[in-house]
Amino acid sequence: MVANVKDKAVIVGIGNTKFSKESGVSELSLAVQAVKAAIDDAGLKPSDIDGMATFTMDTNDEIEVARALGVGELTFYGRSHYGGGAATSCLHQATMAVATGMAETVVVYRALNGRSGHRFSGGVAGDITTADAIHWGWYMPYGLLTPASWVAMFTERWMHNTGVTKDALFEVAHSTRVYGANNPAAFFYGRSFDRAEYDAARTIASPLQLFDCCQESDGGSAVIVTTPERARDLKQPGVSVRGVAQCAADNQEQMTSFYREEFAGIPEMERAAENVYAMSGLTVDDIDAAVIYDAFSPIVLWQLEAWGFCGNGESGDFVLDGALRTDGRLPTNTHGGQLSEAYIHGVNGIVEATRLVRGTSVNQPAKDVNHALVTSGVGIPTGGAILGKMN
Amino acid sequence: MSDHKTLGCAEISVGDKLPSLDIDITTGLVVCGALATRDFEPVHHDKTSAVATGLPDVFMNILTSQGLMTRFATDWSGPEAVVKSLDLRLGAPNVPGMVMTMTGAVTAVDPGTGVVEVEVLGENNIWGMHMQGSVELALPKEA
Amino acid sequence: MTANELNAFEDEINAFVGREVCPPTPAKDDVNTAMIRQWTEIIGDTNPAYTNEAWAAKSTRGKSIAPPAMMYVWGQEGFAVTTGRPADAQADLVSLFNKHGYTGVLGTNVKQEYFKEVSPNDNVVMEMVIDNISERKTTGRGPGYFFETLSTFTNQHGEKIGTQRFKVLKFIPQEQPAAPAAEDTLQVPTRIASPRGHDNKWWWDACDAGKVLIQRCKSCQTLRHPPRPMCGECQSMEWDSIESTLDGEVLSHTELHHPKIPGYQYPLVCAVIRLGEGTNIVSNVVGCDPSAVHIGMQVKGKVEQVDEKTMLPQFYPASSGIRS
Repeated sequence: MVANVKDKAVIVGIGNTKFSKESGVSELSLAVQAVKAAIDDAGLKPSDIDGMATFTMDTNDEIEVARALGVGELTFYGRSHYGGGAATSCLHQATMAVATGMAETVVVYRALNGRSGHRFSGGVAGDITTADAIHWGWYMPYGLLTPASWVAMFTERWMHNTGVTKDALFEVAHSTRVYGANNPAAFFYGRSFDRAEYDAARTIASPLQLFDCCQESDGGSAVIVTTPERARDLKQPGVSVRGVAQCAADNQEQMTSFYREEFAGIPEMERAAENVYAMSGLTVDDIDAAVIYDAFSPIVLWQLEAWGFCGNGESGDFVLDGALRTDGRLPTNTHGGQLSEAYIHGVNGIVEATRLVRGTSVNQPAKDVNHALVTSGVGIPTGGAILGKMN
Repeated sequence: MSDHKTLGCAEISVGDKLPSLDIDITTGLVVCGALATRDFEPVHHDKTSAVATGLPDVFMNILTSQGLMTRFATDWSGPEAVVKSLDLRLGAPNVPGMVMTMTGAVTAVDPGTGVVEVEVLGENNIWGMHMQGSVELALPKEA
Repeated sequence: MTANELNAFEDEINAFVGREVCPPTPAKDDVNTAMIRQWTEIIGDTNPAYTNEAWAAKSTRGKSIAPPAMMYVWGQEGFAVTTGRPADAQADLVSLFNKHGYTGVLGTNVKQEYFKEVSPNDNVVMEMVIDNISERKTTGRGPGYFFETLSTFTNQHGEKIGTQRFKVLKFIPQEQPAAPAAEDTLQVPTRIASPRGHDNKWWWDACDAGKVLIQRCKSCQTLRHPPRPMCGECQSMEWDSIESTLDGEVLSHTELHHPKIPGYQYPLVCAVIRLGEGTNIVSNVVGCDPSAVHIGMQVKGKVEQVDEKTMLPQFYPASSGIRS
């Protein structure tokens, strides 16, 4: 059964803070700056917000954000779990709240000092105090305790099974950075990048090298979601949520689903894609551009397959044909992705997908973008959404 | 340095960084490094003696650290470089199980003599600074 | 110590300044390729100026050289030091310090200058003097004195090839508090252990005892790993376990390069291994070069003590013939 929330929620405002390696301010400051930017973009007032959705990993309590901004009353707050898997799950929460009338205008936010504060590359050891710790305990003693190491384990097997080579990983790393080099807000702005630099960079966890990995970042991103009725009165052209879904598949672990009969795959994203297509009434052919969660280069390839842009094992050829480039079949991660804009846990991706539909990306493709795909992190419970122009 | 190229002084500027180098501190490196430098002090090969001095295990001798520091510099410069001096301040011991990361940058270039000074830091991942200092290298003027 | 006693002590130590520790002494062995090769292998130095005769012959120098950092090596006394060093001025100075409570010792700086390179068949002659002794200093380690030895190196022709200044702090160790602060206890970190709760403690306890167990549903006999409180097949909460033979096959692997986590020894390979019993486990593959690990590789596990505190299964290539 697929819930019918198609076009019942509309993105009307987007905001990012400056992205940096050291923000010099609190995560709460980043959160309220991002939310305020999104509110301003929408032409709303803080008091128009009555709902909030963020990550369980976010340190900024809804009520603190509300108090700092002067939002006033909240009638909805919901959090989504599983790291970057929560990116579009927050949009999913906001959409459900708006569609059901639990709230009228919900802000999705994520803000972190991901470089100057807690760093993901430091691994899971120090500060996990929940029942999660039991799970990580099956990996930590062996040294498998960073996101790169978990993704590397999937990548090695997937490359072995499919014959996809590092040429394809490089194409993802490179096409994304070409976009980033042209985005003034991106870490990679103004930089050049080539295969020699990619190959020469240090190995993080084989087969992943430095440029297969995103950059830890300080920053915040936010999007405002409201009803179609309200959206029509606002400043920006509405970007409608055509379909959104989340999924945890059978035998799922967080980043370590090594116990499936064949673990080199992301069945949770296949199922989420199926549901988004069913909800939206759209097919893969309707998608003109995408923001595909790219904490690491190979995970973009798996998602292209899960969403049906190509067959299983064919994503290498698909990207090597130039599909992700600005004149390709599916211009992807046009902001520079998390590989080279900033790693804001995928919420900067929702911002960019909104821009693509509005037609305001710094790397806007020449063709019409009627529908853009945006996805969450994989290897974990995940999801995605298709955004389109509000009717 | 498989091509055995040597940098020329003219190619080098103050601030140039050397490629960083990770050294796995193993019992083998500590004990064999002491042997190769004919340093038979028991603290470098006998854990019981090392523990008696308050350390958890055998620790790297100074001559091995000196060797690693010159290697780090000449790996970068190439083999025609003549090492003129090696000046190091000693910090925390290197003990098996640690990883020492060596980083360095050029701090002075004298185009007249071809001598460059490189500042080097060797930090282990447990106790921090193991050695810090400088290496002077005389380089050909052109590569 | 009264002011007078201190003055007397300082007069006594200052009398050592300028005293010879060792007269010019030729090294027992000439500079030679065997010792150079051993040094370069262990230091990991591939500089062809040291060991590649063909390259060196064509180089600016026209011949191979000894690594400059070996300058002090040639005159080392050798294995005899394991049973003590002969009496010399430095030993006398040290024992004088020790007698007055300055028992702590810490090498703080070493500086070598090189004036002329040496090559195989040269002989390095070393002499050493006590060059200077500082005023009494208050240091982080305790009150003490720095003394510096100056070694001068010449070759068989009497040409000066280099010097070495070595600075040592002799100090009165500060009284340690009864329970030293965490940063004062010198401990090498161990691997990050799994927390132990109701659902997994039994597994790790068995691991400590040298066994890898696999949880088994008592009702439908399905094996499961990692352990969970309920069987996903039949929802039974009754379970026991079987011991794995640790015969396995690598399903995937990764070599961890960066960041290096304190407590782990690198190179470090992690792998997903399918055990003969049918369940998968994550562990390390050891006992072979990391590049030899491959998908489909047959491995054999063994529970081992990997550091002071940690017992873990470790998997070796099955071809190595290891027994669990």
